[in-house]
Amino acid sequence: MALQAGALPDVDFNSRPSLAFYFSVALIAGSVIALQIGIMRVFSVGSWAHFGSLVVSLAMFGFGLTSAVMCVGKPWFERHWRGAVKTALLLFGPVMVASNLIAQQVPFNAIFLVSDPAQKWRLFANFVLYFLPFLCGALYLGVVFLKAQKTFNRVYFADLAGSGACGLLFLLAMYVFKPDDLIVAPLMLWLAGTVLWFIAVSDRRGIIQAVAAAILALAGHFALPPLLDIPKIAVSDYKGVAYARKFPDAKRVYERATPFGYMEIYDSSYLHFAPGQSDNAGFNLPEMPSKAYRGMYIDSEGPSGIIRTLPASQTEYFRYLMMYYPYVVKKAPETFVVQFGGGLSTAMALRAGATSVTVAEGNPMVLNAFRTDAELKKFTGDILGDKRIEVIDYDGRLYAARTRRKFDVIDLALADSAGLSQPGGFAIVEKFSYTREAMRNYMRALKPGGVLAVTLWNKEEPPKSVLKLYSTMVAAARDVEGQDVANRFFVAASYLSTATVLFKKDGFTPAEVETLRKHTAAMSFDEIYSPGFKADVSMLDATLQGYRDQFFYEGPPPDPTGPGPEEKEPHDAPPPGAPADEKKDGASNGEPSKPKVPATDIGRLWWHYLINGGIEQVADRYVFDTTVLTNHQPYFAAYIKVKDLLRFTDRLELVQDEWGYLLLWATLAIAGIAALTLVLFPVVFGWRTIFSRYPGKFGAVVYFLCLGLGYIVVEVGLISHFMLALSNATVSASVLITGMLVFSGLGSFLSERFLDRARSFMPKVFVAIGALLIGYGFLLDPVLDMIGTLPYVVRILACLAIIFPPAFLMGFPMPTGMTTLGRLGKDHMFLWAWGINGSFSVLGAALVPIVATSFGLPAVLLVGGIAYLVAIPAFFRVLLPLPGKPAAA
Amino acid sequence: MRRAIRIGLATLAVAFMALPAAAQFKPIKPDQSPPTDSRESYIAWMKANRGESEKWLGQRWDRYQALLRNKDVWTDKTKRAFLLTPREVFAAANPAVAQRGYEHAFLDMGYGVTMSGPHLQSRMTEVIDVKRGEKVLEIGTGSGTQSAFLSELTDKVWTIEIIAPLAARTRGIYDKAIAAGYEEFKNIQTKQADGYYGWPEAGPFDKIIVTCGIDHIPPPLLQQLKPGGIMVIPVGPPGAQRVLKVVKQVASDGAVSVTREDIYGGKIVPFVPFTKLVDGEIKGSHNR
Repeated sequence: MALQAGALPDVDFNSRPSLAFYFSVALIAGSVIALQIGIMRVFSVGSWAHFGSLVVSLAMFGFGLTSAVMCVGKPWFERHWRGAVKTALLLFGPVMVASNLIAQQVPFNAIFLVSDPAQKWRLFANFVLYFLPFLCGALYLGVVFLKAQKTFNRVYFADLAGSGACGLLFLLAMYVFKPDDLIVAPLMLWLAGTVLWFIAVSDRRGIIQAVAAAILALAGHFALPPLLDIPKIAVSDYKGVAYARKFPDAKRVYERATPFGYMEIYDSSYLHFAPGQSDNAGFNLPEMPSKAYRGMYIDSEGPSGIIRTLPASQTEYFRYLMMYYPYVVKKAPETFVVQFGGGLSTAMALRAGATSVTVAEGNPMVLNAFRTDAELKKFTGDILGDKRIEVIDYDGRLYAARTRRKFDVIDLALADSAGLSQPGGFAIVEKFSYTREAMRNYMRALKPGGVLAVTLWNKEEPPKSVLKLYSTMVAAARDVEGQDVANRFFVAASYLSTATVLFKKDGFTPAEVETLRKHTAAMSFDEIYSPGFKADVSMLDATLQGYRDQFFYEGPPPDPTGPGPEEKEPHDAPPPGAPADEKKDGASNGEPSKPKVPATDIGRLWWHYLINGGIEQVADRYVFDTTVLTNHQPYFAAYIKVKDLLRFTDRLELVQDEWGYLLLWATLAIAGIAALTLVLFPVVFGWRTIFSRYPGKFGAVVYFLCLGLGYIVVEVGLISHFMLALSNATVSASVLITGMLVFSGLGSFLSERFLDRARSFMPKVFVAIGALLIGYGFLLDPVLDMIGTLPYVVRILACLAIIFPPAFLMGFPMPTGMTTLGRLGKDHMFLWAWGINGSFSVLGAALVPIVATSFGLPAVLLVGGIAYLVAIPAFFRVLLPLPGKPAAA
Repeated sequence: MRRAIRIGLATLAVAFMALPAAAQFKPIKPDQSPPTDSRESYIAWMKANRGESEKWLGQRWDRYQALLRNKDVWTDKTKRAFLLTPREVFAAANPAVAQRGYEHAFLDMGYGVTMSGPHLQSRMTEVIDVKRGEKVLEIGTGSGTQSAFLSELTDKVWTIEIIAPLAARTRGIYDKAIAAGYEEFKNIQTKQADGYYGWPEAGPFDKIIVTCGIDHIPPPLLQQLKPGGIMVIPVGPPGAQRVLKVVKQVASDGAVSVTREDIYGGKIVPFVPFTKLVDGEIKGSHNR
């Protein structure tokens, strides 16, 4: 590769760089962010989104590493800047394609991470591979910043605005490219940015080389996989869709790539659904529906069942599903279905004789499929076209909050897929539809005597989600109906299947309770609670202890003749039928023991203490956290109590569904170590030499640390907050990233004007940011709830308007600090500051979900606000001039 | 698909390397059992009758001892069946896990299926209490190990696999094993089909063992279960399953009811060992 600078004219980016230069910075920065989102998409579809976040977070340390190396080797980079940039740029595109393609050939399987040592190396290979392209991008940006440090504001503006705009562009690209080919989007941005760079530095040969590299990369991406018979994207064998694809008669009948996800629908005689179906169905039903379902997969995850329009002879089948419960007591109701999903609840409501069905769905992709696809309409009997149906095209919880209509039945059933998902199917996702606030709104939207029915998967043992649901619904009921709610509830469950909670406004009558109990018995379901139900409280201690022992057994070993310390040994409770005396052979022939159903027992006890008081003490003793879901902490996941975290590190296999949460802690720990290492790197190599003459260096570190941490904490925290209004993680992330970065870019651009007055002006900016963020923390929720009911485009605009004030102001501190360093001649500090900022951004991003799950979403904004306030005193240290030089401002 | 077939053939070739030579084989009759008084006598007896390698026999014996301690097997018939089942033959279908057939972990067999660990498999088998002559149906042939285990207990085993190339691969392993002398595998009837519907022509069954996850118990299977019959069925994603014991009861008035119970008493089925005991105290885990 040609690295010579010789014949080319020198360029001074500190005076008046060309427009091409700024656009180059914007597009390469945009390419980096597009690559970031792209990799996360690849992980979502191919394996597991949480590992995508982990990989990307760590890859972003490419920026920290580059800064540290450049800080130490600054003279070299100043001499060879042209070659360094050219190399980085020409490599960036091909490397991103090559890394992605190679990484897809060494996929790792999360479920074997603990049991198979090889998986760790595969994960490591993924880290390294995805790290490489970011290193290239970081090197380019680092050198450019170094070359233009005196006009950092403008370059930074280009950087931020470019990232922001390209984030939005990438969102649109998801309509065009399937996940397999998403990498093309950052590649195109890279090509444009690279060509513009070579125009800016008048390097014609570079342009040709860039185009050649792009052709090479594109050819590699499109031609190599078919040639070598390798996949472009490795979808894990254990993803839901991988099974569907292997069914002999599987046929994909629908496919669409959108920013809301990659949706596929498969048809196969092998797809069977009957969520929460009674075991008695097979004995009592004259005719079981056959080929009744198609499987819907979003990002390879699923399936969610889409039910065919059933002939009248088969509709009796619905009675055998647990979600049928509300229709046992409500005839000819007006029903509100909170989430359409695959349409099962809606079909059931229609078949159960509802006079009207109002159905909400927040995912436009799903509605679009059911409304427009001719084949799907035929299969479902055009369910959304039924004249009794009214469709609400935003989240049901928002509709419930705003509507004046009242309903006889409100149904929120199994909004998620079949629940046979990967470990981590239990990701840290905001479940705003299940919060105390949402439940209150559903309850208030009921007519007198109306019934709210919530059905949830009950496949956990020990149970976590259902206990949280129980507590949340009782808390909400007390908010709405007063303390005595004993006769408001009826609860049934099927062991390791589903659970349904019925809430009736004004309470169930004894006759209704009797009807429900009969239905429960006829279906072989377990009654968990009904008015007057007596739980056997004598079981409490043993049940709680049994659950604790599963994880933290500390008694003597079951068999002292067991193996030596190094041998592998399981330690399980004996199975049913095992003889008490192991010396005796033959099956036990004593009394048949009562079936062991601990989840059912704890459910009953839970309701006893919820209704009669004392649940707090029981919850304290329960092995997992069962905090009520609120809009501030809308999580079913994160059920491990923080104080128990370390005790689980050697028994991860027992809490697979919590790995998403544990990975967050792991990411935080790794990010913390990496950030500190990168910060210390220049310290070790140059604290005495390079930095010795710099006054206020410690203050500068704190300053840029606060900015890095504060900015990202606010950005990521607001993404979660704005899900309240935007209902979709990808859209919320894109709107936030775009809005924040573009507005901050604007702030950065304007900050130049205040550079001379920075000493007096900046403290005001910091105070304003702090006040805004802390205020937002407390006031944002109701505003976002209201915005959520507006048309989608208006929602996005309203969200952008909310972001503007803090984001604009948050654009000031970073470039002001950096330009000040540049103008004061603190060149090494300039590079280092950029790295500190980047490293602590990664740390901050990892911190957000931890703070959110532990203390709630408002606490996240609080942390951000405080970080900006702490930056005030540190800012004055940044202003300290080099000895013998005039002060900056 | 071309690629899948290539891999299938390659793995098949490897699979047979785990089989002993036919010449060394003496059929073991149902009333014959290997001695269980010591490791040495077990290995000696098995070598004399089956010609299996000492390495695998040693590992099988050691795992058997762990099964006893964990109360995963307690009847003589199931102990015998475990001691006769050559897990290594089936693990060898995936070269990456060929050496790990006797580990506690569940193993990746390709096609998104796993081979359950020996503890889980033994416990599920013991819980359904198979008597000689009883008809047993397995849903999810997978690696083939479970049906091999069952074929040591009864001469009437039916097994169904949904994934066609996997069904063919495992059928191939049975055939080769039968040719090598494992005559009891002739008791296993295989087919590629959707196990959801059971095998009505062969039913009803005394016992049903499901080895793949689903969101509900398939009604056809409950229908094909005899009154008083027992079914075990796992719930949940691979590697984090709870296993349900389902008993079909028919009252005197003909009303059918079904009871559900967890064979681990509600405990998550672990796929790697739980804790490490040192001098009677917990000292970390066995995770590598």
